[in-house]
Amino acid sequence: MLQHILRRLLNLIPMVLGISLISFIVIQLSPGDFLAEMRLNPIVSPETVDQMRVNFGLDQPLHIQYLRWLWNAVRLDFGYSFAFHVPVMWLISSRLANTLLLNVVALTVAWLIAIPLGIHAARRQYSWSDNSLSFAAYVGISTPTFFSGLFLLYWAFRTGWLPIGGMTSIDYDLLPWWGKILDVAHHMVIPVLVLGVFSVAGLMRQMRANLLEVLRHDYVRTARSKGLGESTVVNKHAVRNAINPLITIFGFELGGLLGGSAILETIIGWPGLGRLILESVIQKDLYVVMASLVIGSVTLVVGNLIGDIMLAYADPRIRYD
Amino acid sequence: MGAPVLRMVVMLLAACLVVVSPVGAQTPRPSLPDVPNPKLVEAEAGRFGGTLVVTSISDPRTFNPIVAQETSSTTPLGYLFESLAETNRFTTEVEPNLAESWTVSRDGRVWQFKLRQGVTWYDGRPVTVDDVIFTLDAAFAEGVQSSLPDVLTIAGKKIGYRKIDDRTVEFRTEQPFGPFLRTVGGLQPVPKHKLEAALRAGAAEFNRTWGVNTPPRELIGNGPFIMQSYTPSQRIIYTRNSRYWKVDRRGQRLPYLARIVIEIVPNLDAARLKFQARETDVYGARPREYAEFARLQQSGNFTIFDGPPTFGTEFLIFNMNPAGVRPPKLTWFQNVRFRQAVSHAVDRDAIIRQVYAGRASPQWGPVSPANKFFFNPNVRKYPHDPARAEALLREAGFTKGADGLLRDSGGNVVEFTISTNAGNADREAIGNLVRQDLTRLGMRVTFVPEHFNTLVGKLTGTFNWEAIVIGLTGGLEPHNGQNVWRSTGSLHMWWPRQERPATDWEAEIDRLFDQAATTVDQSKRKQLYDRWQEIVAEQVPVIYFTTTLTQPAFRNTLANFSPAPLAFYDIETIYYRTPYR
Repeated sequence: MLQHILRRLLNLIPMVLGISLISFIVIQLSPGDFLAEMRLNPIVSPETVDQMRVNFGLDQPLHIQYLRWLWNAVRLDFGYSFAFHVPVMWLISSRLANTLLLNVVALTVAWLIAIPLGIHAARRQYSWSDNSLSFAAYVGISTPTFFSGLFLLYWAFRTGWLPIGGMTSIDYDLLPWWGKILDVAHHMVIPVLVLGVFSVAGLMRQMRANLLEVLRHDYVRTARSKGLGESTVVNKHAVRNAINPLITIFGFELGGLLGGSAILETIIGWPGLGRLILESVIQKDLYVVMASLVIGSVTLVVGNLIGDIMLAYADPRIRYD
Repeated sequence: MGAPVLRMVVMLLAACLVVVSPVGAQTPRPSLPDVPNPKLVEAEAGRFGGTLVVTSISDPRTFNPIVAQETSSTTPLGYLFESLAETNRFTTEVEPNLAESWTVSRDGRVWQFKLRQGVTWYDGRPVTVDDVIFTLDAAFAEGVQSSLPDVLTIAGKKIGYRKIDDRTVEFRTEQPFGPFLRTVGGLQPVPKHKLEAALRAGAAEFNRTWGVNTPPRELIGNGPFIMQSYTPSQRIIYTRNSRYWKVDRRGQRLPYLARIVIEIVPNLDAARLKFQARETDVYGARPREYAEFARLQQSGNFTIFDGPPTFGTEFLIFNMNPAGVRPPKLTWFQNVRFRQAVSHAVDRDAIIRQVYAGRASPQWGPVSPANKFFFNPNVRKYPHDPARAEALLREAGFTKGADGLLRDSGGNVVEFTISTNAGNADREAIGNLVRQDLTRLGMRVTFVPEHFNTLVGKLTGTFNWEAIVIGLTGGLEPHNGQNVWRSTGSLHMWWPRQERPATDWEAEIDRLFDQAATTVDQSKRKQLYDRWQEIVAEQVPVIYFTTTLTQPAFRNTLANFSPAPLAFYDIETIYYRTPYR
């Protein structure tokens, strides 16, 4: 097992190299650079813009730029943001916790709701409640997050029950610790609802399908004919086997913890990483984009790895050596 | 600087200095214990306290005023740092600020600024000439990422500066410099004692100093507010500076507000919702929102102003650069009648109605009417007139065939591509309207919005474009547009960086800009820039569309809100009529 983990982590190295090289080239090949906007400012002379290009190292040939970046990145120095004049890692870490908080809560809420609902729907297949859950799931899956985000914001605006975007209130700094928690929780209702509903819908359908599949197996019939209670049959035997594919999905979702909510963050003004990355891609703030891509790909791989390890733990039939 | 000859010259010059500024002292001047001559801000006297909440749609990028360039950084820093002289937003006259007075030599080349006595930084240290000198040293230092040198370099020569005494600084230019007060006067000193070490550590280090990761309390300024905290992508909080050096009519120390909060929101729609939900106090409504906001004024407890026009411009340009387009297109675009015909064909009223919901007026020249002093209304105008456009095209040798297509004298069908930056809804709408207008003349026009970066690359690098709909921000001082108007300018978009002026009128504009730059008498400068506006309207290298209006909305609990083109209010004098927040 340990060997497997090590091997997977070693695989990361060529992968990150490849991803970073390709993204570096693609970003640089697309027209224009960070300084485009400045070139259209009548007060800034072209000499000043050229000077900035030199300062940023953008005048160097592409391979030199990449190797320089790589050499620094290996030493965990991801460079300075062109736009913000601060280390890229500061920019990212100042937003990382916000994104993690939002996504972890949304993920937890989604799983806590989706699994029981999925089990319920499978046990009462084609019942009234299963049908309405299916209908709700289809609506949930097919509603893009930007739409439901905007819709809920508008609803918050009409009713005044919830704050309109953001993560904290103006007087956040003056609140006691429990007030701060409540304030953030209040602001999280809309984004968690949006992200949660979206993933509940998918997870629930997945759980339902898996469980239905398992319930048709012979050993379930055996268990039932042994005279075991229905709840023991389902919860102890069937669910245990039906949940395995979901663990793999869980691994994927771990990988999406950092970047999965970018669009929603931008819409509701959540001060997260996704919004930063989106803005830096638009502005071509090269090193911020590169660092976030590297972090994104590492979390994806590590997330999958965690998923696989959990799967091995949950299902003794799976062995990695 | 210590050469005896030079000192002689200085003494001679000093002998013929003329006093330009000090304001008449009819009323007893107010004074503060620490500031004998505080600056008086003319506004209704108000009451103290309260928090003003405004929105910004982007994060600041740096807190270093010398490196700051975009408004997302300069606006938050505007509450912290003050300029030597400032432009009064109503009269557009330059008035004393950090400098309480100044003198200029008779030949217009030597300026002396006297700093206001008793003005201190937040930490109690006095603001001295050493700070001014340090600011200039830093801006000019090799590798420091500042656009200040562009403003402080006059006719290719760096401005000279030296300390006379603790409160007097002298500037020296090779030639008299007309826009001196508006450009050099706009210099905002930074505290030497806080930033000196960073500059000594090198330009790269200085560029990073006072970045957005600096604890805000370390940012030492002299403005009306002190930055208390900055939470990335959320908000900036300021508190009142109790050492501020401006007073109201009653001699009370400004500012009135206790706190300012800038809420950072992702976009204008979010800003609007927050304003309507009464979470914020000010909102710059867009033209289309004016009617709706006017209806909601009562219930929303706010006032929407029929605001002043903006300085910015939107226009259509044709490429006249032989390095970018070839005949016959080049020949059409270089033909003034062709451009005049296009300008007559553009239906500006349709643009005003459909794009700006009536909140705009036609524009004919390079200066917006917002610029009351320099705006010249008497220039050639091009009202929507397809018949006149066709007549002009006939004069220029174009004929419309039986197939309805316009052909030049060589029989080439007139067809070209107009681009604009994709994502700018206004420009996309304008481009479509213009395409329709020109199609009616028989031109075959394709309209292709492109990515902003691609467009800038074409405009400033490859020159490989035919026509573009784009805009530029503007300001009070026409000289600051010289990069656009001089034939050598890199933003002389229709044909940048010409070796020598391609046409007589471009040569004349070059001369006018030279003269206006070296003329100190503002009314003479106005005449020169008037002529420039006439030439541009006559030759239409740039086909302007409209001047848009602003429509600021403001909570009724606040007073001293009086929109002018330069700014909607003075932050020092805004106050709450009734206790609120």
